[in-house]
Amino acid sequence: MITRAPIDPGSAAGMLQAAQPASAAISRFQWCDVAILGSVLLAACGHLMIKAGLNAAISTAAHVLLLERLLIYFRQPLVLLGLGIYGLGTVMWVFAVSKHDISYIFPITALNYVLVTLGGMFLFAEVIPAKRWLGIFVVIVGVTMMQSAGRKSKR
Amino acid sequence: MTAIVALWASIILNGLAQVLLKKGVGHSNDSQSTSAQWWMSLLTNGWVLSWGISFVVATALWLIALSKLDISYAFPLLSTSFIFVAIISRVFLKEVISWPRWASILVITLGVILIAEK
Repeated sequence: MITRAPIDPGSAAGMLQAAQPASAAISRFQWCDVAILGSVLLAACGHLMIKAGLNAAISTAAHVLLLERLLIYFRQPLVLLGLGIYGLGTVMWVFAVSKHDISYIFPITALNYVLVTLGGMFLFAEVIPAKRWLGIFVVIVGVTMMQSAGRKSKR
Repeated sequence: MTAIVALWASIILNGLAQVLLKKGVGHSNDSQSTSAQWWMSLLTNGWVLSWGISFVVATALWLIALSKLDISYAFPLLSTSFIFVAIISRVFLKEVISWPRWASILVITLGVILIAEK
């Protein structure tokens, strides 16, 4: 849903490019959408990895001061790896933000919640009640609505 | 209690950070976003730097919150920053937000609130 329709349908240039098979024009526009999807996926992976690292550290860090606790957290390999993956997603995000309105692109990151919630279920055996499943469905509906609401931006 | 305070501080700062980033990067064209010069210029851009600082602080607060809360509970609450971002971007960046976009933002936020509720 994110990777399709890589061309701004609201602009004359977008319509022209839609009619052109020219690979240069198509790939140029697709990169923005690959960047949105990529940053969402990498952020979700990063968050899950950070949580896995914190789960490993939490017993040793339970009774120390806040600052010490943070230092323990930042020394966890999985936390660092998670932050690294998150960082890569962030570079993609900066690229994507420079191509769209922030009020359009930011809510699309809600797909993160869907991915991380499912990840919490599969990786950490966190229980997902029926209401949360409904929420996942509504988020997906909302992101689809956002796509069809259009990405037209003020320049 | 500490975890809840840290969570909300992280959420609000996260929303503000997005608007600061957008203010910094603007609308790039393709020759800009594929040039090293443009990327390097972001490193000394005050708006982008303030985004970076907000981001680091928000992440530290997030780690504090996450150490005590289930990720599948804490993460969805971040959705409330969609509304903050929409309002701030409208006022501060003068972004034009059509009613279908507002509707989408509210539906997404509703969905995430449903996810967040236990």
